[in-house]
Amino acid sequence: MAESELLLEVRNLKTHFFAEEGIVRAVDGVDFTVARGKTLGVLGESGCGKSVTGFSILRLVQPPGRIVAGEILYHGLHGADNRALDLARCSPTSSQMQSIRGGEIAMIFQEARTSLDPVYTVGSQLIEAIKYHQSLRQEQAKAWGVEMLRRVGLPDPEATFNKYPHQLSGGMCQRVMIAIALSCQPKLLIADEPTTALDVTTEAQVLRLIKDLQEELGMSMIFITHNLGVVAEMADEIVVMYLGKVVEQTDVKALFEDARHPYTQALLRSVPQIGKKSGERLQTVPGSVPHPQNIPAGCPFHPRCPSRMPGLCDRKEPALLPLSGNRLVRCFLYDEDALKGANVHVANT
Amino acid sequence: MSMSPTPESILEIRNLKKHFPITRGLLRKQVGVVKAVDGVFLSVPAGKTVGLVGESGCGKTTTGHCIMGGTPVTSGEIIFHHPQLGAMDLAKANSAQMSKARCAMQMVFQDPNSSLNPRMTIFDIVAEPLVVNQVARGSALRQRVEELLGLVGLRPEFMQRFPHAFSGGQRQRIVVARALALNPRLIIADEPVSALDVSVQAQILNLLQDLQQTLGLAYLFISHDLSVVEHISDSVAVMYVGKLVEFAPTQTIFHFPKHPYTQALLMSVPRPSPTAQPRAVLGGEVPSSVTPPPGCYFHPRCPFAVQQCAEIEPELIEVAPGHFVRCHLAHELKLEGVGSLDLSVSK
Repeated sequence: MAESELLLEVRNLKTHFFAEEGIVRAVDGVDFTVARGKTLGVLGESGCGKSVTGFSILRLVQPPGRIVAGEILYHGLHGADNRALDLARCSPTSSQMQSIRGGEIAMIFQEARTSLDPVYTVGSQLIEAIKYHQSLRQEQAKAWGVEMLRRVGLPDPEATFNKYPHQLSGGMCQRVMIAIALSCQPKLLIADEPTTALDVTTEAQVLRLIKDLQEELGMSMIFITHNLGVVAEMADEIVVMYLGKVVEQTDVKALFEDARHPYTQALLRSVPQIGKKSGERLQTVPGSVPHPQNIPAGCPFHPRCPSRMPGLCDRKEPALLPLSGNRLVRCFLYDEDALKGANVHVANT
Repeated sequence: MSMSPTPESILEIRNLKKHFPITRGLLRKQVGVVKAVDGVFLSVPAGKTVGLVGESGCGKTTTGHCIMGGTPVTSGEIIFHHPQLGAMDLAKANSAQMSKARCAMQMVFQDPNSSLNPRMTIFDIVAEPLVVNQVARGSALRQRVEELLGLVGLRPEFMQRFPHAFSGGQRQRIVVARALALNPRLIIADEPVSALDVSVQAQILNLLQDLQQTLGLAYLFISHDLSVVEHISDSVAVMYVGKLVEFAPTQTIFHFPKHPYTQALLMSVPRPSPTAQPRAVLGGEVPSSVTPPPGCYFHPRCPFAVQQCAEIEPELIEVAPGHFVRCHLAHELKLEGVGSLDLSVSK
């Protein structure tokens, strides 16, 4: 990928939480890149660190959590030396970070209703964001706010502008939040499960809206979700996360046609698909996601993995290996050197 | 409509209505009514699974509560065929009859964290229905609890632990074990896998299917997830703003729907295949059940609506044996099911 097409590079990011009971390695070595105008899907189950990754990029991780290692290189700003800015090194409270947050990179969350302040009108929350990042007068900011509400497809935007969040439905609240996030035309939108709390018909509306606006504004997106169907619809590239680590990175088509990591394969098999009733039992992943304080040694997925190789997977941690076709997989099954060294026989490749 | 009473059905609901009054002011004067459930017809055959689907606020959970006697019914019949006591109408049952009926039907809720008391051990939780109904005590009680935990795939050694020591999937297994304690014939499962991780959902769905086979249970499976409902159900009921709009065998609902809302729901399900056609987006919002539109509740969003739809409320009609639809145009419309979607690529 040419340097100019890159918007964000995350390299070996580690965000740990230093709780009294021990260290929780919520994000433990995450690498990915986001290209301009493209969508990166981050897929994973609860506790895999996908949300903390999003918070880390915006430097919104609260103590006892802290970024302990890694780089978050943002290429959207053209400084004097034309170099990327490492967000991991910025102070979360610095004015630079505050202007990036909302102005350059915006975020929308799962529960729109809890993310909006119940005691302020929709309009005043919109104007707050607009006036913070742009030097506009009150009337101009209001006109822009109403225009944003119109663009996210809310009926009667002038009236909605003066309403409180409780007067709107869940889908409308999510549209308001999208309007706030996009009001300063960010170059990157981080969407953290934006439709999980919505019904399917509303979900389809909101996803279509996000996609249309992305095209219109030419922005990049990091789309965090656990839903395979939603990620198939939204993403160009996908990273699959398990217990704080990226286990597989590939383009969306290859993931669904030919997943390589045993976890991704198991995930794809365990979900019932509409229109394919067979009457058979579902294939399951045995066990459950371990507690983040008791991450197993070696490959973190090995206790649940159907193709685990005793003596290798439970001892050493696999590295993220490049495979053909621009894909990366963190699994010993594809590491010929490790297989030779350990001299294990693999029946199931 | 008359849903023919089959001797094998364990639960039959006829024109169930549950209205909640909206009161205001000091004298609690009634100013309106929420028609949470407003015309539900259902029939659950013994040993089979009926899926109940619809969007939030459509009254599917309230339907479950009405069956369990959690809230008094406004009108309609809920005929439950009790294995020992025969047919009884739960809509009119008194509390003594109701508590007998509840021994033969049980409920599993969405969130296992909030449906287990954090201060009770697993033994106490699973034993509680047996103790309350004076079914077993002493060593017999202990044996029965061990047996129940074995049924749901939990090791009996964990009996003295508290719920916090278990994962979400294991907690849902505990909830299922408690529901099975009194040997029910019917389980009302209200979104039982929605709060679980994707990789754990499949385990609980398989458990429910295994238990159905070994114990001959019937399920009323309430869910908003159509893929899960298709997988587990023998027939499916679709609700919209308190009303049953379509009820048919699973294959029929998913491949030959007759109600435009059913079609819209099917088309809006996200499909795990990047080459699938883009989803059809249904415009508009679900109307409020306080001020529903006149005529058919779905007509403002319906692409096929004609003049009649805005004026006359459609009745539930049987378009084919066992296929009930609430639509004026049920006989004329040619709708598409999920078979029309491109699903060929993904595994």
